[in-house]
Amino acid sequence: MKKITLDARELEHPKPLAMAINILKNLEDADYLYMIHRKNPVPLIDLAQEHHFQVLSREDAEGTWHILITKNHSVDLKEYLFV
Amino acid sequence: MFSQKGLSLDQAPPISVVFRFFLQGASFGILGGVLLALYQNEIFDPASKGALVLTHVFTLGIMLSVMLAALFQMLPVIAGVKLTSPAKKANWVQYPLIAGILSLLLAFHFGKIAWLYLLASLLLGGSLLFISFEMIKKLLQVPNHTSSSKGITAALFSLAILVIAALYLTATLGGYSEGIHYVQIKTAHYSFGLFGWIAVLIISISFQVIEMFYVTPPYPNFANRYLSNGILFLLAAASILSFFLPDIWMICHLILALLLSIYAIITLKRLSKRKRPVSDATVWFWRLGLGSLIISMLCFALGLFVQTAWIHALAYLFFGAFALSIVFAMFYKIIPFLTWFHLSSQGYFTAPMMHEVIHPKTAKKHFWIHCSMMTAFIMSLIVPQLIVLASLLTVLSFGWMGYQIIHAHLLYVKTQKEGHKFSMNA
Repeated sequence: MKKITLDARELEHPKPLAMAINILKNLEDADYLYMIHRKNPVPLIDLAQEHHFQVLSREDAEGTWHILITKNHSVDLKEYLFV
Repeated sequence: MFSQKGLSLDQAPPISVVFRFFLQGASFGILGGVLLALYQNEIFDPASKGALVLTHVFTLGIMLSVMLAALFQMLPVIAGVKLTSPAKKANWVQYPLIAGILSLLLAFHFGKIAWLYLLASLLLGGSLLFISFEMIKKLLQVPNHTSSSKGITAALFSLAILVIAALYLTATLGGYSEGIHYVQIKTAHYSFGLFGWIAVLIISISFQVIEMFYVTPPYPNFANRYLSNGILFLLAAASILSFFLPDIWMICHLILALLLSIYAIITLKRLSKRKRPVSDATVWFWRLGLGSLIISMLCFALGLFVQTAWIHALAYLFFGAFALSIVFAMFYKIIPFLTWFHLSSQGYFTAPMMHEVIHPKTAKKHFWIHCSMMTAFIMSLIVPQLIVLASLLTVLSFGWMGYQIIHAHLLYVKTQKEGHKFSMNA
């Protein structure tokens, strides 16, 4: 799986959402988006789920959110999570 | 839009609800500018009908309209509150609200026409108590509150209380009540309106959006936890005690002026610690608004000890500058975002980007119009003729705002008609 990283921790709202949606539009089956954010981006997760993506969202001990999104439902996103 | 609580796309209200409340605010702003040309410097005399009319054009026509737009949009987002049938509820509020505001303005202008006060009371009381209790009911059911959702609840309680106080006042003005407690209730009415409703709602929303929009350090815990409810408690205590201790409002207003000044300084400090200090008109609107709040509270506190008309006028003018600046700051964030987000979530590949909905330079131009308008207002205390310029700039400022809403709406409709949809579906 090819990882596409988006570190949105220092981006002002709504740039993280706009950039993530642009990545999702062009995401291939063998790709996954790995987004790092200071908040859990619920609208993005909602939108991705409504478009039938597989989504995983976890908060680490420092309060940073790790969001993984892929089209591919046969992979276990937990294996790609670095928390 | 922001929260960890959860925005579901199907919980968000139709974009038209937000657009039309903002457009209502802009339209009343234009009306305010026209009425200013009519009443001119009379508005600086608090006992005049011009002051009464213009104050309610500002508080009801402009502020309440845009604050309802913000609440319809943000309650699902900030608090996870789902308002069932938001478009229908918006209709139940908006039409009586417009008719009620116009009735009230006519009642103030023409004086003792009892049925106009009765009509205004029924329309405004009915619609505002309905929507505030509806929103409070939903907010009280939220299992885990944030500082923002707690603050919004406090602001809505203030709205309900100030409306009930207003019903007593209009009953007195219309000759339906003797108004034995008119003075105490009037003080409670405007105190809940300015501090409990307008200021607390702005404070509550800022707890969420300052950190999110501008990547600043979080607010200190004491502000987050206690400020909104503290203000509500102070207002409630002063309202009750004022029946026995008439001077209690002086102490209450002094504490409130101090608290709001501290809030403004804390927020300005946060904005100065932005991680990515990009120049943006909305930041300047926030800075202008918060600076105006500090000057307003200073004049307000001074006015408690010095009975000078221009100090009172400055306190209210700068409070207006505070509230309107924050409204415009939020407006230039909300309208482009919602237009882009609604279209993107519907799958339109050709959804206009946010800077195409409202260009940052357009917002910057509005900032200078707004600054000129406020300067003209303040200078008209020294050079009375400048009130005509203030009137023209008020029409220009709200006309500018109205044009942006119509432009965004047309762009939205055009994209829906002609835009190409992409498929992100897995």
